[in-house]
Amino acid sequence: MSRYSLQEEDKQYIDEFMKKPIGYHSPGLQRVLNVMRGGDVNGKYVLVILEPFRRWALGRLPARRGEPISLVEGVEYTCQLQAERDVFIRRWRDLTGEDISDALNREGSANA
Amino acid sequence: MLKITAYSSRISYRPGDEVDVKVSAVGMKSFSAVLKRIVQGDINPDGPGYREDAVPCDIGGPFTAREQKILTGSYGRVQTSAGFAVAGSVTVAALIWPTLPGVARQAIVSVGSESGLRLGLDEKGRATFEAVSGGRRVGHATTTAACRMKAWYAIIGTFRPETSELEIEQVPLQRFRGIEDSGCAKATISESIDVDWSEILFAAERGSDGAPASFYNGKIEAPFICSGQPGPDDVTDHLKGAKKLEAVIADWDFSHDIAHDTFADCGPHSLCGKLFNLPHRAVSGFAWDGSTYRWDERPEHYGAVHFHDDDLYDAMWENDFTFRLPEGLKSGVYAVHLTSDDEASEYYVVFGVKAAKNAKKSPVVFVMPTASYIAYANHRLGLDVSETEIGAGQLLQIDKHHSFLQENPQYGLSLYEVHSDGSGVFYSSRLRPVVDIQPKVQGFIGGLGSNIWQFNADTHILGFFEDRGLDYDVLTDEDLEADGVEALADYQVLVTGSHPEYTSTRMLDAYRDYSERGGRIMYLGGNGFYWRITYNSKLPGVIECRRSESGIRGWEPGTGNYYHQFTGELGGLWRRIGRAPQQVFGVGMTAQGFDLSSPYVKTDHAKDPRAAFIFEGVAGDVIGDFGLNGGAAAGNEIDRADFALGTPPNALIVASSRVHTDIYLMTPEDLLDPTPTWSGTQSDLIRSDMTFFETSTGGAVFSTGSIAWAASMAWNKYDNEVARITENVVRRFSNPAKF
Repeated sequence: MSRYSLQEEDKQYIDEFMKKPIGYHSPGLQRVLNVMRGGDVNGKYVLVILEPFRRWALGRLPARRGEPISLVEGVEYTCQLQAERDVFIRRWRDLTGEDISDALNREGSANA
Repeated sequence: MLKITAYSSRISYRPGDEVDVKVSAVGMKSFSAVLKRIVQGDINPDGPGYREDAVPCDIGGPFTAREQKILTGSYGRVQTSAGFAVAGSVTVAALIWPTLPGVARQAIVSVGSESGLRLGLDEKGRATFEAVSGGRRVGHATTTAACRMKAWYAIIGTFRPETSELEIEQVPLQRFRGIEDSGCAKATISESIDVDWSEILFAAERGSDGAPASFYNGKIEAPFICSGQPGPDDVTDHLKGAKKLEAVIADWDFSHDIAHDTFADCGPHSLCGKLFNLPHRAVSGFAWDGSTYRWDERPEHYGAVHFHDDDLYDAMWENDFTFRLPEGLKSGVYAVHLTSDDEASEYYVVFGVKAAKNAKKSPVVFVMPTASYIAYANHRLGLDVSETEIGAGQLLQIDKHHSFLQENPQYGLSLYEVHSDGSGVFYSSRLRPVVDIQPKVQGFIGGLGSNIWQFNADTHILGFFEDRGLDYDVLTDEDLEADGVEALADYQVLVTGSHPEYTSTRMLDAYRDYSERGGRIMYLGGNGFYWRITYNSKLPGVIECRRSESGIRGWEPGTGNYYHQFTGELGGLWRRIGRAPQQVFGVGMTAQGFDLSSPYVKTDHAKDPRAAFIFEGVAGDVIGDFGLNGGAAAGNEIDRADFALGTPPNALIVASSRVHTDIYLMTPEDLLDPTPTWSGTQSDLIRSDMTFFETSTGGAVFSTGSIAWAASMAWNKYDNEVARITENVVRRFSNPAKF
């Protein structure tokens, strides 16, 4: 398979994402995001709106039409950018097995 | 989850017309209905504020709640005349091209309901011929080899009542060395049956509840019934038209009346039939050899019908109530607002009300792009297509209407989906609840911010009219289709929606003719007039789209299937058909991305005295670096002027966006030689051009070429330079003084 998978050197893009999850990205970060945001629909993370523009639950899409979207228990957000950061960390762990949650606490990361 | 869903049989009314409403309401005893004028449907707290106005109108109610269901799946039905029956041995056969063999039991030809014969595929994809008595299967002959997907077969079932024997033949039309996909089998039935010949179904059978069931996915061609048991080679030759058998009882021809929903029987009893839920017609049959692409030139090459278990044309719900619109109702966008005691349960049945026949027309007419609303009806881009998140550049958000669609696929598909067998959806109808033609709903790809799309995004334009006190009337695409340019008579200014992407020939002619008569067009959107669609002269409320050969598309129609069923017209991009949108509107689709939008920057053309009225009171060079859709005015789907594609040579490109994120990529029709440079930060072609030109008849066209424009108009409660520019143009265009 020639599809790109995350590499050790992609860690250089973590802080860039944490500072600006949505918008202009370096080519390297964009490639990381293309990996994270594509792939199988089954289990894909989505934001389920609890209060429009105010509060979201983390959900996962099912494999087939007709099946319900499942909620990740206990995970809610009140900020869209924080949701992006949290899902980035979850996907990094899903794809590499590595926990990068400390990135959230680095300077300039949670500026939303 | 939505407890109430509903629809009306029309989407365009006049004052005084009777409106019918069909409702399914669950989890409540009753519901109420109120007529509302929809002013501004965006509920973003950073937006201008939601607004709907109640309209005095005696609708009646409360109404008793009941559930109405939707059954998807296309099929054909023949009802025979009273007393029709076949005595003795009988053979039932058809050519098939299954697309999901082995997924479930699927019916090909079903004779009778409670007692009869079933020719089909079993759950393993093997041809089977069954006898049914009293609703129970009393015998079947089934081959031992599965049919291959997307390969042609003759399947032939014979029933000999005198010996109680069933026989099945599965004959591949093309054989491959080492591939065992042919077969035959015999069986004896356990009790005699009295075949009910009153009804024959194709691609379905009657289920235990009497409704069609066991839907088939794939093509059927030339279904056939004859007396006796001719040899399989003779039957196959007959089905292929190579040789004609005697003793024919029925010999159906699906190439008859391709444009509509009936088919002929060339046999002696004229057992003609009808198709339900719009299976694909005008698709290549077994004989198609590339010698023609037009089904009307050689219909015998287009004798197949492609059925799907998730096709839906008409939900056929019963009326819950009708009411009469007030005679003096002002033209506009209205909805029947359905509610129950549970505050979370509400539904809007949205429609346009055009000016009364003898009413004085407003200077401005807003054309609701209802064809584009229907193209996207109940779309599942964020549910079915993982890569939608890459294009959105952000996590996809699921509101309650999205959750409802995910759990209720029977509400039908949009032109953006594929059927369960992977083939593209050619038809989308509004004769079903379309839950995304409502205010308050969010989209998947409406950019960072309000994230609204199509109908709800267009309410930013309605809200602008109301905010500025501009008189406007409303028409729908269906009015342009029905009345052509005459629908636009007496209007000074035509204003489009934010994304009028789907256009029929008659609609495009109306825009062109209106412009040539001196009309003024304000195209306040992006990616408009991109795909050709067709309406059906006999089947209301449905559009067809064949996404042929190019364009941004989630599927392609299959080689040979490029011409529309409804009209025989070539499908695809208007650009490929020689009528690029630049010709009438000055700009046409160039790129899309759904994260951030970008501002426009004035060009040297902005200083041209011809453009002075546009920028009156707008001093700065940067326009629209704010907005509710991606934070700026040029975004989502954007258009460029292109003189080679037909932008008039006198056009002024008064402002352009300069750079977009790298999520913005070039359209495939421009990407002749792919290089890694066709992205938003690298390609000069990825820009939105604000364009103005006068016509030779004293009219004019102003185009923004951006879906996000309207969401910037709505920024800061419509107090900003984008709204100011729009108002400047509306006011000058409303002035009858010729340009």
